[in-house]
Amino acid sequence: MYIHQHICISPQQTNGVVDLEAIHPSSAGKLLALEPKLGGVPPGMLRRMSKAVRMGIGAGLPLIKEVNVDGIIIGTANGGMEDCIQFLNQIIDYEEGLLTPANFVQSTPNAIAGQLSLITKNRAYNATHVHNGLAFENALIDAKMSLAEKPDTQYLVGGIDEISSYNYNIDQLAGWYDSTKSNEDLYTSTAPGTIAGEGAAMFVINNNAAAALGRIDAIEAFQSMDQEQVEARFKNFLSTYNTDINHTLFISGENGDSRFLPGYTSCELAIGSSIPVVRFKHLTGEYPTSSSFALWLACQALAEQSLPAHFYKNEHNLTQIDRVILYNQYQGLQHSFILVSR
Amino acid sequence: MSRIVVTGIGIITAIGETADENRDSLIHAKTGIGKARFFNSRYTGQLPFGEINQSTELLAEKLGIENNIATRTDLLALHAAKQAIIDANLSKEDLSGNDTALIGGSTVGGMCLTDEMYADANAAGISNSPYLTSYSNSANTSFLQRYFNVGGLVNTFNTACSSSANAIMYGARLLKNGLAKKVIAGGVDSLSKYTVNGFNALMILADEPCRPFDSERKGLNLGEGAAFLVLEREEDASGKRVYAEVRGYGNSNDAFHPSSTSVEGEGPYLSMKRALEVAGLSPEEINFVNAHGTATENNDETESAAMLRLFGTPPDFASTKSYTGHTLGAAGAIEAVYSIISLQHQEVYPSLHFTQAITATGLSPITTYKQKNLQHIMSNSFGFGGNCTSLIFSKM
Repeated sequence: MYIHQHICISPQQTNGVVDLEAIHPSSAGKLLALEPKLGGVPPGMLRRMSKAVRMGIGAGLPLIKEVNVDGIIIGTANGGMEDCIQFLNQIIDYEEGLLTPANFVQSTPNAIAGQLSLITKNRAYNATHVHNGLAFENALIDAKMSLAEKPDTQYLVGGIDEISSYNYNIDQLAGWYDSTKSNEDLYTSTAPGTIAGEGAAMFVINNNAAAALGRIDAIEAFQSMDQEQVEARFKNFLSTYNTDINHTLFISGENGDSRFLPGYTSCELAIGSSIPVVRFKHLTGEYPTSSSFALWLACQALAEQSLPAHFYKNEHNLTQIDRVILYNQYQGLQHSFILVSR
Repeated sequence: MSRIVVTGIGIITAIGETADENRDSLIHAKTGIGKARFFNSRYTGQLPFGEINQSTELLAEKLGIENNIATRTDLLALHAAKQAIIDANLSKEDLSGNDTALIGGSTVGGMCLTDEMYADANAAGISNSPYLTSYSNSANTSFLQRYFNVGGLVNTFNTACSSSANAIMYGARLLKNGLAKKVIAGGVDSLSKYTVNGFNALMILADEPCRPFDSERKGLNLGEGAAFLVLEREEDASGKRVYAEVRGYGNSNDAFHPSSTSVEGEGPYLSMKRALEVAGLSPEEINFVNAHGTATENNDETESAAMLRLFGTPPDFASTKSYTGHTLGAAGAIEAVYSIISLQHQEVYPSLHFTQAITATGLSPITTYKQKNLQHIMSNSFGFGGNCTSLIFSKM
């Protein structure tokens, strides 16, 4: 399957005129996405939208306003988490008194796919995958199956998550975030925890090779706490799909959390020390569907045939990029490999 | 193209903790809706619920879960998934294989712990809460993955009240597309202050046992439960007991309103129509519809309108939500199990508390138990956000 258009909303200048040279700094351990102005959304609707929904509409709507898609397939771990906790707070603070339903209706994770279909009157296939660090990967697999079932169709596929003050709080209590870390020295840290991030990356995907931005050759997604098993499956993935590792880039989800560095390193070694390693979480922070940003970055690398120096983990002499292999893991449990080529 | 078959079923609801117990209640028109004993909310005494008659502690004890990190949602999911896995005779090696997938669906997830989540979301400093990774709506699927060491693809749907119907659809498609050889698919939800207050704020909770498709219906009752199916390709299931075929599935978005269905039931109509297309069946070949039938003003009328439009004269139909209450993300899987046991025993179960048809549509559900020749049953699940999914199960 082939990627044709994409829009990426992130904490960096990735939407509209792309500038990946200058990096916006994180603040208090968070990287907040830069939101575009939303056109084509009724004001009453806009006022009630959470940031996750606004980002989803901002990335998705321009792609499907002109082009008819045969399905809207979204991956989001949390959807409108801020609304969810606002409603939760009302329940407790008002001791289950009579509440207004607006936050409740907006809090469902399928609000993004639902609003996109509502605004465009799209009554086709509509799905919301919420399985944390595999939510976007499942959205891609869903699209892949849809294209196998009906080859002449096309789909909007996206990954979105927001930082809400509340899920940040819960994840920080659980030890996933360290608010003293910043994106300027993310990878030199030897302590657990990372910085929080958010964003929305959306893609129009179909079977047409002509003028495509990239081809997704393979996706593998699974859960495991056993690093040796992850490495074995990565090796198997490489031998199954990737016969040629010349002109190949490896995008790693390394996030500065010392606990996960060995896992990323073992996959780097498995692919071979001659392959340049690119990292991206100093631009995005960590969030469950950050692999959607990584896929956008892979398309960017294939289109430009280079990336700014700050992305590279080591010195490299890569002058031609024909394929990109992504490895991302979330909270040490969820792992995915994606192979993208020109 | 391979046929996708059901080789294991597992279920727990307010009307029983096995498929046999559920069937017994359905045959004898025994509802599970009544006064809740374990759910703790301001509304516990005021509203009827389809509560599972066991404390969370007892559920944990019976499943041999000793630590206190499993939520009620996790435990209900484990109860049903374990039954289905044993029923389909899946071995440890089967479960850990890279081609065994686990697909769940849930709306509440770990938010059954409303008060705990409130405390943690607003806590300052250090927390000793055991639930920090339990709140998400995918936490219960990860709990099952770790418990059973499932080796293949793992996913959770949240398309509101059609979540587990989409999980079953996705699971069947993974098998058809060769992306898995065995799939455990289903869903779970437990009673939660979160959903009770949400539906209460929308003013669609009835203060009496719900009356699906009745002209005087007053809204829905919330319930809880879980159901899982084991799905395999027919050629991989030889020698196994096969309950039914997953013959068709259709999904559409109504694209009308975040929390109500369009008057003409466009989304429901399209999901049913697409399910027929995938199944290669004409409308008159459907022998029975397990309706979404929540007993809200909006759903029952729009679902009726969609059935009239699709079928002309609709086949027999009923809503089992008059037994279980609306189990939200679990409803699609629970009603899939009911459709499957209907096919297995060639019988249909009555809708409860119905007296008079809705004037605009004039459709009446069946109100008495009967034996009937059944080849194909359609099961509908429609949710907030416009998400509509229909499944078709067929006798082998």
